[in-house]
Amino acid sequence: MENLNSFGFLLPVLLVFGVIVIIPFLQSLVYSLTDFGGYDFSTAKWVGLDNYRQIFHDKTLLSGLGFTLLYTLATTMLITAVALPLAVVLNRKFFGRNFVRSAFFFLSVPSMVVLGVVWKYILSPLDSGALNMALRAMGLEGMPWLSNVNLAQGCVIFIAVWCQVGWHATLYLAYLQAIPNDLYEQAAVDGANRRQQFFNITLPQMVPAMGVSVFMLLTGGIKVYDLPFALTGGGPGTATLTVTQSIIQTGISSGRYGLGSALGVVFFLCCCLLVVLQQVVTKAIERRLS
Amino acid sequence: MSLHTREYVASVIRSIVMIFVALVCLIPLYMIVVNTFKDSAGMSQNPFGLPSRISFDNYVYAFENLPIVRSTINTVIVTGVAVFLQVLIGSLGAYGIIQKNSRFTAAIGTFLMLSFIIPGQALLIPQYQMESAAGLTDSLLGLIVIYLASATFCYFLIVGYMRGLPKELFEAARLDGASPFRIYWQIVLPLCRPILATVVVFETMWTWNDFVTPKIYISSNENQTLVLQVYNAIGQFTTNWPLFMTITVLALVPVFFFFVLCQKWIVSGLVSGSVKG
Repeated sequence: MENLNSFGFLLPVLLVFGVIVIIPFLQSLVYSLTDFGGYDFSTAKWVGLDNYRQIFHDKTLLSGLGFTLLYTLATTMLITAVALPLAVVLNRKFFGRNFVRSAFFFLSVPSMVVLGVVWKYILSPLDSGALNMALRAMGLEGMPWLSNVNLAQGCVIFIAVWCQVGWHATLYLAYLQAIPNDLYEQAAVDGANRRQQFFNITLPQMVPAMGVSVFMLLTGGIKVYDLPFALTGGGPGTATLTVTQSIIQTGISSGRYGLGSALGVVFFLCCCLLVVLQQVVTKAIERRLS
Repeated sequence: MSLHTREYVASVIRSIVMIFVALVCLIPLYMIVVNTFKDSAGMSQNPFGLPSRISFDNYVYAFENLPIVRSTINTVIVTGVAVFLQVLIGSLGAYGIIQKNSRFTAAIGTFLMLSFIIPGQALLIPQYQMESAAGLTDSLLGLIVIYLASATFCYFLIVGYMRGLPKELFEAARLDGASPFRIYWQIVLPLCRPILATVVVFETMWTWNDFVTPKIYISSNENQTLVLQVYNAIGQFTTNWPLFMTITVLALVPVFFFFVLCQKWIVSGLVSGSVKG
């Protein structure tokens, strides 16, 4: 009876999850083993693991997978490395603190597509590019920001860090403010300096916050599409191609549903690995710090 | 120097450095706003400087020639309905889970965890097919249906917070004869306000800014959302950057006000949730 009762409350979320996530996921698994073209599934042929073999021979698809993983790991690490110290500074007293806090946070408010397009204008290698214009005004050489493979990848990651760091600093700040002050007073009485206080009090107290922040960065990072799509369209070549863009292109736009689905499944396996990795690392850090 | 003066000097240096860094980070946003008052020629001569004279021509042109009001209304409808349903469904589920600690609820909790490892990309194709079969492509309802998937994310944030609520309250209400739904609506939900506020703010920002879903599903001008419209404006006015910046500003204004109003709830619920749960 009581199970039935809670089931009533759980029904909507299970229904939504089942219909919008689980069923499509199972369909993806099945499609990935066929040459389904999107029109009539009854005429699709069973091709076994052919689609998967094709992915591992297709440089374009592989590079999309590679850049998505690179983006996810790089932004997660850089944002964590910048946001945590930033939050510590924003927690100290200084003139203009509220302005600085709001400024950093506000960068995370606009849509990534919009920011991507604006940066495309700023970084344009042509004469009209604002950054190159500024560099030349200072007597420096302009750079091919978005047409060089490494620079383009770096620019995408830099912009992602720039616009998200404030949000994560705000999250850390909220946790910092929840640390009881007597911990620091006690440490000061015991003669601990600022550095020791940071490593022995602040950092261990920040472990739950890091868990939340890193988790959001990882799950948000693997979904990346908007920013590189708006900034570089996936180029130069396939340097900043993302998995989402590949799936939309091969699957929905050119109708190779089987191949697109297989790419989705391979990516699912990468995500599983990433989640396991994150759990292992978090556990290890928690053990060391507490 | 005394300790007090040292503290003071340190805070002045902190002030100067941090305000400088913040201003540098804001340059791109400044460029967006300042260039909306220039024409193309004025912008390419001097993209950083203030305009020689302030002109609102771009704003007038944008309102006269683009369905900005229409796409703002579309975005408000989609975001409002989707976020309301996500939070409702998520909180109902969370309440269902915390009612009883049984193997049954534990199993469902684990099942819902799957939502974290199944990436949205693996679902794009079947979801697209499902929407076309149901005739939901290129409709606002179609977008809302896809956004409902975030209900599991809301569920996870809310359930952590709900577990920290005192169980005695529910027991007392039940002994007084309140139905489970009434307990949920009149006792549990009001107590969860901090996390609900955070979840609403978070999901609103996310849904408002989402680009992938409208890009895939929306093809007609009448149904486009603001972000899609900004993106489409690049193709339409490639050479007219000031006009593009103007549309960007118009798209950012509502989010800006939302941000100012909701600033204090943005992450507060996440903290209290994990401290208690």
